[in-house]
Amino acid sequence: MLRTRAKWLRIAAAMLALAVVAAACGNDDDGDGVVAPVEDAAPEATAEAPAPEPADEPAAEAPAPEPADEPAERGEVTIGVLVPLTGELGEFGKIVADAIEFGVGEINAAGGTVCGNIRTVVADTGGDPETGIREATNMIESEGAIAILGPTSGIMVALVDLAKREQVVIMSPYAGTITLNELGGDFVYRTVSSDLGDGAASGLWLSTRGYGSVAFMVQNEESTISPAEVARTEVEEAGIDITDFVVYNPGQPSYQAELTSVLASNPDAIFLAGGQESGVTLIKEAVAGGFDGEWLFTADLAVPEIFDAVGAELINDKAFVEFADADPSLPEFISFEERYSGAGAPFAPNSFDMVTLVALSLEASGQCDGAGINSVIRDVSDGGTAVSTFSEGRDALADGDDINYEGASGPLVFDPSGTVSGAYTIQQAQNGEWVNVEFYPASTFVE
Amino acid sequence: MLFLQYLTAGIVTGCFLILATIGFSLTRQVEGFLNIAHAELLGIGAFTTWWLNASQGWHILIAGPAAVIFTALVGLVIARTIYDPIRRRGPAVLLITSTGVAFVIGGVIDAMVGTGIRTLDIGLATTYKPFGIRVTDYQIIVVALAAAVSVSLALFLNRTRIGLAIRARAVNPELAASRGIDVRTTSRVTWLLSSGLAGVAGVMLAVIATLTTDLPFHQILQILAVAILAGLGSLYTVIASGLIIGIAMDVSVYWIPAGYRPLVAFSIVIIVLLFRSEGLAGTKAA
Repeated sequence: MLRTRAKWLRIAAAMLALAVVAAACGNDDDGDGVVAPVEDAAPEATAEAPAPEPADEPAAEAPAPEPADEPAERGEVTIGVLVPLTGELGEFGKIVADAIEFGVGEINAAGGTVCGNIRTVVADTGGDPETGIREATNMIESEGAIAILGPTSGIMVALVDLAKREQVVIMSPYAGTITLNELGGDFVYRTVSSDLGDGAASGLWLSTRGYGSVAFMVQNEESTISPAEVARTEVEEAGIDITDFVVYNPGQPSYQAELTSVLASNPDAIFLAGGQESGVTLIKEAVAGGFDGEWLFTADLAVPEIFDAVGAELINDKAFVEFADADPSLPEFISFEERYSGAGAPFAPNSFDMVTLVALSLEASGQCDGAGINSVIRDVSDGGTAVSTFSEGRDALADGDDINYEGASGPLVFDPSGTVSGAYTIQQAQNGEWVNVEFYPASTFVE
Repeated sequence: MLFLQYLTAGIVTGCFLILATIGFSLTRQVEGFLNIAHAELLGIGAFTTWWLNASQGWHILIAGPAAVIFTALVGLVIARTIYDPIRRRGPAVLLITSTGVAFVIGGVIDAMVGTGIRTLDIGLATTYKPFGIRVTDYQIIVVALAAAVSVSLALFLNRTRIGLAIRARAVNPELAASRGIDVRTTSRVTWLLSSGLAGVAGVMLAVIATLTTDLPFHQILQILAVAILAGLGSLYTVIASGLIIGIAMDVSVYWIPAGYRPLVAFSIVIIVLLFRSEGLAGTKAA
């Protein structure tokens, strides 16, 4: 599942370099109170400075900071959209932000929530947890956001404490990290399944494809190693020979050393659980090195840009990609697809579901804050009259019914960790584009 | 045979590290500080190559040299406008400033290049198997360039008047100045050279890797490792330390998981520094 790459490297390099210089020059005038933790520093900064005015607010509005726990403007309720719009995952961030805006448009067009129309404030994390914390703090303290939607895995984990402390709901459509299996459930939700589900789906695909041997190339991150371990167990249990399980570091110019043993073993398939940067280089180097077997990629590579970057002719018919996906046979998804042209993009239905769930939770609780959403979000998505849009749900609630929001991405029943069970799609590279070849509904993995 | 394959990969990695580090070490010796922004100069070289090749349709043989020249000029401009005015404040201030410069360059590249991955419009590498060892044409180019750059730089520093002046300044700036060596000229030539060398490494980064805006800065830790291992002495030790670290990292994969490659690099640095605190070179000499 989507993961963020921490930009700690710059800081580490600077610190290392400083240490070297300090040692070499014998300098002893280094300051000892370096930088306050972002969580602590940011609120102070925002408390002292005038809050930035949202672009659509009247110019006459006084530039005083908004109270932290109230909507930014009377008659509106603010939701933060915290996504990576730059960096390696920027393509996904835009999909998520667009789908949320579509959902907001539908909700506002239907008359808005009991707390008023939804206003969004969008911030780019660049995939960096530190930036994510700073922007989230700004959204809460300055903009009065009651929910923050769209963070990737590393940023979700980094925001858990902030969400609980500030009683603001955070929700992700693609953060599969298993760390949230422990931390999620109270103010922390996701409309996608855990990475372990991806591992199970990948393992099922690899086990049933008829391979005699499989090599695993796994990026050195928790979000890729965890599902790869699950897939490895399934493949082993199927009696398939695992020639290599290589955990590599991303950010290298070349991965020839990591590929040496894999290419020598010449497996029937390589399971590549990695990001776009490392993945593209690995694919090219493996093919150039003579690998002629099949591939299974994880979600990061489920984008059309891969064909340009790798060269479509190298992976056509041989490459497959696995990712959590909406069930295309569900009437809720079909309806969503009819209304929204971007419905087929990865995680677009999950993103739409997030904002609809938030809006329905506001309606159900009648409370215009994160605590209100948190208190009823499980109720509106499980048990009661089935609804698939905000307006349906609001009308049912007005009639005094319990509602069960059936999302465009699936049934959306949250487990104790705030995670939904997922369905998965396998796509194949065909003529320079990804084409669906297999779908595993959530029931596939229910024991 | 498998071991020899790892060794080959290590030599190529080492040669890339030489390309990436030799300009950094030249700056360190002559200008007297660690230019953290050097890694982002690789980024300028890489993304200029990408822009000229993939967006403007220039052949890589034209785009590459153009990117090197552009990177050299950018490096010179940065040195004259940012580093020169604060030179007297000492190496620590210059280092911290260079970290800020790295962030600025990274931000500008981010803003200009945008999201996602970038690759050149060049063909897939061709693989040869001399004596059963797999090697690609791009790997051969990296090794050849590292050799050519090293020999050229050695000849320049030893056989030309300006090269000798640079060496003299590196050993003793005050004495060099008192003996009539033009400090400004040597400084500008040094910046052109070191930034141009970063540009060469950037071009090769674009050729062999998949570019993201983060990728160039990811190289800084290994550049630092090679430079620290080399010490303040001759640039020849940069060649030796680049090869040592490159080979050690890649050959280590034969025995230990690949995820520990950076650990291997820095373990070597630590072990060498324990016995030779000045690095491989020992004392400072150009």
